[in-house]
Amino acid sequence: MKVSFPYMGTTVIYKKLLELLGHEVIEPPVPSQRTIDLGVKNSPEFACYPLKIILGSYIEAIELGATTLVTSGGHGPCRAGFYGETHSRILKNMGYDIDLIVFDAYKRDIMGTIKNVRKIMNGNSLFYLWETLRIVYLMAKSMDKMEKKIQKLRAYEVCYGDCNRAWEKVQKVFNDIKNIEDVKKAKIKSKSILDDIKVIKIPEPEKIRVGIVGEIYVVMEKSINLKIEEILGNMGAEVERSQYISEWIDYNLLPIWISKPHELEILKKGEKYIKEIIGGHAKQTVGHIVDYAERGFDGVVHLMPFACLPELVSQSIIPAITNEYNIPVITLPIDEQTGLANVQTRIEAFLDLIKNKKRIRIA
Amino acid sequence: MIGVFLGIDIGSVSTNLVAIDNENNILSSLYLRTNGQPVEASRIGLRKLYKEFNGDIEILGVGTTGSGRQLTGIMVGADVIKNEITAHATATITYAPETRTIFEIGGQDSKIIILKDGMVTDFAMNTVCAAGTGSFLEHQSERLGIPIEKFGDMALTAERNVRIAGRCTVFAESDMIAKQQFGFSKAEIINGLCEALVRNYINNLGRGKKLEPPYVFQGGVAANKGIVVAFEKELNHKVIVPENYGVMGAVGSAILAKELIGRSGKTTKFRGFECAELEFTPTSFICDGCDNACEVIKIIMDGKIVAMWGDRCGKWTNSITI
Repeated sequence: MKVSFPYMGTTVIYKKLLELLGHEVIEPPVPSQRTIDLGVKNSPEFACYPLKIILGSYIEAIELGATTLVTSGGHGPCRAGFYGETHSRILKNMGYDIDLIVFDAYKRDIMGTIKNVRKIMNGNSLFYLWETLRIVYLMAKSMDKMEKKIQKLRAYEVCYGDCNRAWEKVQKVFNDIKNIEDVKKAKIKSKSILDDIKVIKIPEPEKIRVGIVGEIYVVMEKSINLKIEEILGNMGAEVERSQYISEWIDYNLLPIWISKPHELEILKKGEKYIKEIIGGHAKQTVGHIVDYAERGFDGVVHLMPFACLPELVSQSIIPAITNEYNIPVITLPIDEQTGLANVQTRIEAFLDLIKNKKRIRIA
Repeated sequence: MIGVFLGIDIGSVSTNLVAIDNENNILSSLYLRTNGQPVEASRIGLRKLYKEFNGDIEILGVGTTGSGRQLTGIMVGADVIKNEITAHATATITYAPETRTIFEIGGQDSKIIILKDGMVTDFAMNTVCAAGTGSFLEHQSERLGIPIEKFGDMALTAERNVRIAGRCTVFAESDMIAKQQFGFSKAEIINGLCEALVRNYINNLGRGKKLEPPYVFQGGVAANKGIVVAFEKELNHKVIVPENYGVMGAVGSAILAKELIGRSGKTTKFRGFECAELEFTPTSFICDGCDNACEVIKIIMDGKIVAMWGDRCGKWTNSITI
């Protein structure tokens, strides 16, 4: 059984999980123009952009020999809830004989989850599964911490590209993990990699901090969001995303009383604007904007897949939040278009606006 | 010898060059067609400018803006390479500091800029569709066989109102064709189109924003009187079209260059008018150094590599030392 998974964010984490359970893992390639082309060609035209990219990513993994695909199910009333079903039908119609294992919200379908866990366990003991999950969880936690640091440092790097190279190195270090001890060692090693990045000292009041919010896939996967984090970072802004894999685990997989997820607080902050969970991450989006405003961020970039329904709702609520909290927000729809000029212009103008505003606030 | 600051706005449809003096007086302005060749258009512009002053001109600073700002900026050796929104706002604030709302409609995109106390507080750009921009109007003028210059005047002669769907160019066009069968005149159809365009623009870009006067309307489309009138009708307020409406982006980038040189006290990086004659070739390649497969852009000028970008690790970008 050759296993693969959809490409999103820090994939070393998913790879490690499957690898430690003894599966032969096929790593899907980083989404490229070819991935987009494959996905767009084989998906319904009106489907959301992430569905198309993930499909492209699946096809590329299958071409490399994958026979089983493991993914998490989307939940909520929007189209994301149908991803698993739609993907498996499309792949079947394309003539691929693939086992698509979808982990839906376990609280809803306990029997189905148990069945899926059995498949993934690969004959290992429950104890070993527990150990593996612990390793992977700790790994996700510390990698996210490193990434958050990189997202800050990039704004001040002396030599262009240092942060990107450091992050590649950190991922390689974590790729060699085999047990809990290794996680600790990897943490120390990555810390020293980050410490080696030369940065310019900027006085605290002049620092610019920007949050990125929106639908999880376009927020987390840089190869399809025009590397928005890097664009912002290279223009001198510290960046923080609304989504990190460890936070996703905290909210979706762990019992709430253990993890005390950050996301619950965020949802509370969004409550005022969107009462119901309307699918995707709309409620989180508005909650995060409020959160960033309260934490003194200078601006927010809102990413949405073109025609994403939940994010359209949050987009129309944003002006009210901007008024109330006096925080500038820019919405960028993400689709097949890969031309940078457009986004570069908007982000540049947005940062000019923030800098002007800040100058007033300081003065 | 006249010392000037040069602003170049390389847009999708037009390339504009403006020369200003130390007091922001516009000494010369050129409006050229880009014709899909931003570098070539900038070269022609530079040559024309040089001729206009009979070579008796000294460039003290250069700014570039517009979608081709990066490339042309490298070719001429720009001091400031800035986005169109900041450039437009800078120009308008300089000449009309009390402005609260700028409407800018260009060839391929349209923007709305909200100002307060001479500062940009909010802006929006059309995102997904080019409905309501110059290119669409131009396409319609071709289809109707009326030169774009006469479009506006003709719209003003309309006697009846025609409602045309403005949400999408495809809808608008089929609506126009249908309304032609109903016996409406070309003037009325054009007028309906102008109104639809303004409606679409305000609904789309002005969504959730408070649009307060004074309103300033600039960009190439401001030449169209039909659109100006449609704006005034929709907003129920006078809309100001500045004298140099078509080249405000270039004016703004010239002012930005002037401010930078004034502030930093540096001398300009301008490569001289000779740069218009040098061979200048942008190329790109996919780097195979790692999985990221970055598309790297390489600029060769006069046989020398002058700039590279697009790589994530900095391997190519940092290889250039000037």
